[in-house]
Amino acid sequence: MRIKDIGTRSAPASIRGFLSRVVRGQGPAIAVQRREIPYWQERGWTRNGNVYTGSFATPYEAFFGHIEEHRGGHIDFFLSNPSHQIRGHSHWTCFQDRGNHWYLVHMSRQPRDVSSGILTIERLITDAYEV
Amino acid sequence: MKKLSVVVAGTGQIRDVEMQPGTTAGDILQQLNLRDYLLSKGPNEPFFAAAESVYDKVKDGEKIFASTKAEVGELERCA
Repeated sequence: MRIKDIGTRSAPASIRGFLSRVVRGQGPAIAVQRREIPYWQERGWTRNGNVYTGSFATPYEAFFGHIEEHRGGHIDFFLSNPSHQIRGHSHWTCFQDRGNHWYLVHMSRQPRDVSSGILTIERLITDAYEV
Repeated sequence: MKKLSVVVAGTGQIRDVEMQPGTTAGDILQQLNLRDYLLSKGPNEPFFAAAESVYDKVKDGEKIFASTKAEVGELERCA
Protein backbone atom coordinates (compact mmCIF):
# COMPACT_ATOMS: atom_id res chain seq x y z
CA MET A 1 0.00 0.00 0.00
CA ARG A 2 1.30 3.39 -0.96
CA ILE A 3 -1.05 5.49 1.18
CA LYS A 4 -2.45 5.15 4.62
CA ASP A 5 -5.87 6.47 5.71
CA ILE A 6 -5.35 8.44 8.90
CA GLY A 7 -8.96 9.78 9.27
CA THR A 8 -11.01 12.77 8.04
CA ARG A 9 -11.36 16.42 9.09
CA SER A 10 -13.44 19.38 7.89
CA ALA A 11 -12.08 21.63 5.20
CA PRO A 12 -11.74 25.33 6.10
CA ALA A 13 -14.99 27.36 5.76
CA SER A 14 -13.67 29.32 2.76
CA ILE A 15 -13.08 26.14 0.79
CA ARG A 16 -16.44 24.66 1.82
CA GLY A 17 -18.19 27.87 0.70
CA PHE A 18 -16.41 27.84 -2.62
CA LEU A 19 -17.29 24.20 -3.27
CA SER A 20 -20.96 24.68 -2.31
CA ARG A 21 -21.24 27.62 -4.76
CA VAL A 22 -19.71 25.50 -7.51
CA VAL A 23 -22.15 22.66 -6.83
CA ARG A 24 -25.29 24.79 -6.28
CA GLY A 25 -24.62 27.67 -8.69
CA GLN A 26 -25.23 31.25 -7.52
CA GLY A 27 -28.64 30.60 -5.98
CA PRO A 28 -31.96 32.24 -6.80
CA ALA A 29 -31.96 35.96 -7.55
CA ILE A 30 -33.76 38.20 -5.08
CA ALA A 31 -36.31 40.49 -6.67
CA VAL A 32 -35.80 43.99 -5.30
CA GLN A 33 -38.96 46.07 -5.26
CA ARG A 34 -38.81 49.52 -6.81
CA ARG A 35 -40.03 52.44 -4.76
CA GLU A 36 -42.82 54.26 -6.52
CA ILE A 37 -42.86 57.60 -4.75
CA PRO A 38 -43.61 61.10 -6.01
CA TYR A 39 -40.67 63.27 -7.01
CA TRP A 40 -41.17 65.64 -4.04
CA GLN A 41 -40.79 62.74 -1.65
CA GLU A 42 -37.83 61.28 -3.52
CA ARG A 43 -36.11 64.67 -3.18
CA GLY A 44 -36.56 64.73 0.58
CA TRP A 45 -39.47 67.14 0.88
CA THR A 46 -41.90 66.63 3.74
CA ARG A 47 -45.62 67.22 3.73
CA ASN A 48 -47.81 68.52 6.51
CA GLY A 49 -51.39 68.79 5.27
CA ASN A 50 -51.28 70.98 2.20
CA VAL A 51 -47.89 72.45 3.00
CA TYR A 52 -44.63 71.01 1.74
CA THR A 53 -41.17 71.97 2.96
CA GLY A 54 -37.82 71.01 1.54
CA SER A 55 -35.12 72.25 -0.78
CA PHE A 56 -34.89 73.08 -4.44
CA ALA A 57 -31.66 71.21 -5.03
CA THR A 58 -29.32 71.56 -7.99
CA PRO A 59 -25.68 70.60 -8.53
CA TYR A 60 -24.81 74.27 -8.00
CA GLU A 61 -26.75 75.21 -4.90
CA ALA A 62 -29.83 74.31 -2.88
CA PHE A 63 -32.46 76.73 -1.60
CA PHE A 64 -35.03 76.25 1.12
CA GLY A 65 -38.49 75.93 -0.31
CA HIS A 66 -42.04 76.05 0.89
CA ILE A 67 -45.07 75.02 -1.14
CA GLU A 68 -48.74 75.59 -0.42
CA GLU A 69 -51.31 73.54 -2.29
CA HIS A 70 -54.68 75.28 -2.26
CA ARG A 71 -58.13 73.89 -2.79
CA GLY A 72 -59.03 74.01 -6.44
CA GLY A 73 -55.56 73.01 -7.51
CA HIS A 74 -53.66 76.31 -7.31
CA ILE A 75 -50.14 75.84 -5.94
CA ASP A 76 -47.87 78.55 -4.52
CA PHE A 77 -44.12 77.99 -4.62
CA PHE A 78 -41.82 79.94 -2.30
CA LEU A 79 -38.04 80.06 -2.35
CA SER A 80 -35.81 81.47 0.37
CA ASN A 81 -32.74 83.64 -0.05
CA PRO A 82 -32.28 83.56 -3.83
CA SER A 83 -28.66 83.97 -4.85
CA HIS A 84 -27.32 86.73 -7.06
CA GLN A 85 -27.27 84.25 -9.96
CA ILE A 86 -31.04 83.84 -9.65
CA ARG A 87 -31.46 87.61 -9.23
CA GLY A 88 -29.59 88.06 -12.49
CA HIS A 89 -31.76 85.60 -14.41
CA SER A 90 -34.24 86.87 -17.00
CA HIS A 91 -37.09 85.45 -14.88
CA TRP A 92 -36.12 87.33 -11.71
CA THR A 93 -39.10 89.67 -12.23
CA CYS A 94 -41.31 86.63 -11.58
CA PHE A 95 -40.05 86.36 -8.00
CA GLN A 96 -42.26 88.39 -5.69
CA ASP A 97 -40.79 89.51 -2.36
CA ARG A 98 -42.95 88.25 0.52
CA GLY A 99 -40.69 89.39 3.35
CA ASN A 100 -38.17 87.60 5.57
CA HIS A 101 -36.13 86.68 2.48
CA TRP A 102 -38.96 84.55 1.09
CA TYR A 103 -40.03 84.96 -2.54
CA LEU A 104 -43.15 83.70 -4.27
CA VAL A 105 -42.24 82.18 -7.63
CA HIS A 106 -44.99 83.22 -9.98
CA MET A 107 -46.02 80.63 -12.55
CA SER A 108 -47.47 81.81 -15.83
CA ARG A 109 -48.39 78.21 -16.47
CA GLN A 110 -49.37 76.32 -13.36
CA PRO A 111 -48.08 72.77 -12.96
CA ARG A 112 -50.75 70.20 -12.20
CA ASP A 113 -48.81 68.79 -9.28
CA VAL A 114 -46.22 69.84 -6.72
CA SER A 115 -43.51 67.59 -8.15
CA SER A 116 -43.71 69.14 -11.62
CA GLY A 117 -43.37 72.61 -10.04
CA ILE A 118 -40.27 71.56 -8.10
CA LEU A 119 -38.73 70.18 -11.30
CA THR A 120 -39.50 73.45 -13.10
CA ILE A 121 -37.95 75.66 -10.41
CA GLU A 122 -34.89 73.43 -10.08
CA ARG A 123 -34.45 73.66 -13.85
CA LEU A 124 -34.71 77.46 -13.67
CA ILE A 125 -32.08 77.60 -10.89
CA THR A 126 -29.72 75.41 -12.92
CA ASP A 127 -30.30 77.66 -15.91
CA ALA A 128 -29.44 80.74 -13.83
CA TYR A 129 -26.05 79.24 -13.00
CA GLU A 130 -25.29 78.06 -16.51
CA VAL A 131 -26.12 81.26 -18.40
CA MET B 1 -34.74 47.63 -28.53
CA LYS B 2 -34.13 49.54 -25.32
CA LYS B 3 -36.02 49.41 -22.06
CA LEU B 4 -36.96 52.62 -20.33
CA SER B 5 -38.68 53.42 -17.04
CA VAL B 6 -40.83 56.52 -17.13
CA VAL B 7 -41.49 57.95 -13.66
CA VAL B 8 -44.63 60.05 -13.47
CA ALA B 9 -43.29 62.80 -11.18
CA GLY B 10 -46.57 63.67 -9.50
CA THR B 11 -47.43 60.16 -8.34
CA GLY B 12 -44.16 58.28 -8.52
CA GLN B 13 -45.82 55.64 -10.68
CA ILE B 14 -43.29 53.90 -12.92
CA ARG B 15 -44.29 52.93 -16.45
CA ASP B 16 -41.94 50.50 -18.17
CA VAL B 17 -41.64 50.75 -21.92
CA GLU B 18 -39.65 49.03 -24.60
CA MET B 19 -38.80 51.15 -27.60
CA GLN B 20 -37.40 50.76 -31.05
CA PRO B 21 -34.76 53.01 -32.66
CA GLY B 22 -36.26 56.34 -33.64
CA THR B 23 -38.89 56.42 -30.89
CA THR B 24 -39.66 60.04 -30.03
CA ALA B 25 -40.78 61.69 -26.80
CA GLY B 26 -44.14 62.31 -28.43
CA ASP B 27 -44.50 58.60 -29.25
CA ILE B 28 -43.85 57.65 -25.63
CA LEU B 29 -46.20 60.25 -24.15
CA GLN B 30 -48.96 59.31 -26.55
CA GLN B 31 -48.51 55.60 -25.91
CA LEU B 32 -48.61 56.13 -22.16
CA ASN B 33 -51.57 58.50 -22.50
CA LEU B 34 -49.68 61.30 -20.75
CA ARG B 35 -51.09 64.34 -22.47
CA ASP B 36 -49.76 67.74 -21.31
CA TYR B 37 -46.65 66.07 -19.93
CA LEU B 38 -43.02 66.54 -20.85
CA LEU B 39 -40.16 64.07 -20.61
CA SER B 40 -36.75 64.83 -19.20
CA LYS B 41 -33.81 62.98 -17.69
CA GLY B 42 -34.14 65.15 -14.58
CA PRO B 43 -34.18 68.75 -13.35
CA ASN B 44 -30.71 69.45 -14.69
CA GLU B 45 -31.47 68.34 -18.21
CA PRO B 46 -33.69 70.03 -20.79
CA PHE B 47 -37.06 68.63 -21.78
CA PHE B 48 -37.19 66.36 -24.80
CA ALA B 49 -38.96 67.97 -27.73
CA ALA B 50 -41.96 65.99 -28.95
CA ALA B 51 -40.23 65.08 -32.20
CA GLU B 52 -36.86 64.33 -30.59
CA SER B 53 -35.62 60.76 -30.60
CA VAL B 54 -35.43 59.54 -27.04
CA TYR B 55 -33.91 56.25 -28.14
CA ASP B 56 -30.64 57.95 -29.08
CA LYS B 57 -30.40 59.92 -25.83
CA VAL B 58 -30.96 57.27 -23.17
CA LYS B 59 -29.22 54.12 -22.09
CA ASP B 60 -30.94 50.76 -21.89
CA GLY B 61 -32.81 50.54 -18.59
CA GLU B 62 -32.54 54.25 -17.79
CA LYS B 63 -35.13 56.12 -15.72
CA ILE B 64 -36.61 59.38 -16.99
CA PHE B 65 -39.28 61.71 -15.63
CA ALA B 66 -42.65 62.79 -16.97
CA SER B 67 -43.84 66.07 -15.48
CA THR B 68 -46.70 68.38 -16.31
CA LYS B 69 -45.98 71.53 -18.27
CA ALA B 70 -45.19 74.54 -16.10
CA GLU B 71 -43.52 77.87 -16.67
CA VAL B 72 -42.16 80.45 -14.31
CA GLY B 73 -43.23 83.95 -15.15
CA GLU B 74 -45.99 86.30 -16.15
CA LEU B 75 -46.82 86.19 -19.82
CA GLU B 76 -46.38 89.94 -20.36
CA ARG B 77 -43.05 90.25 -18.61
CA CYS B 78 -41.33 86.91 -18.53
CA ALA B 79 -42.36 84.85 -21.52
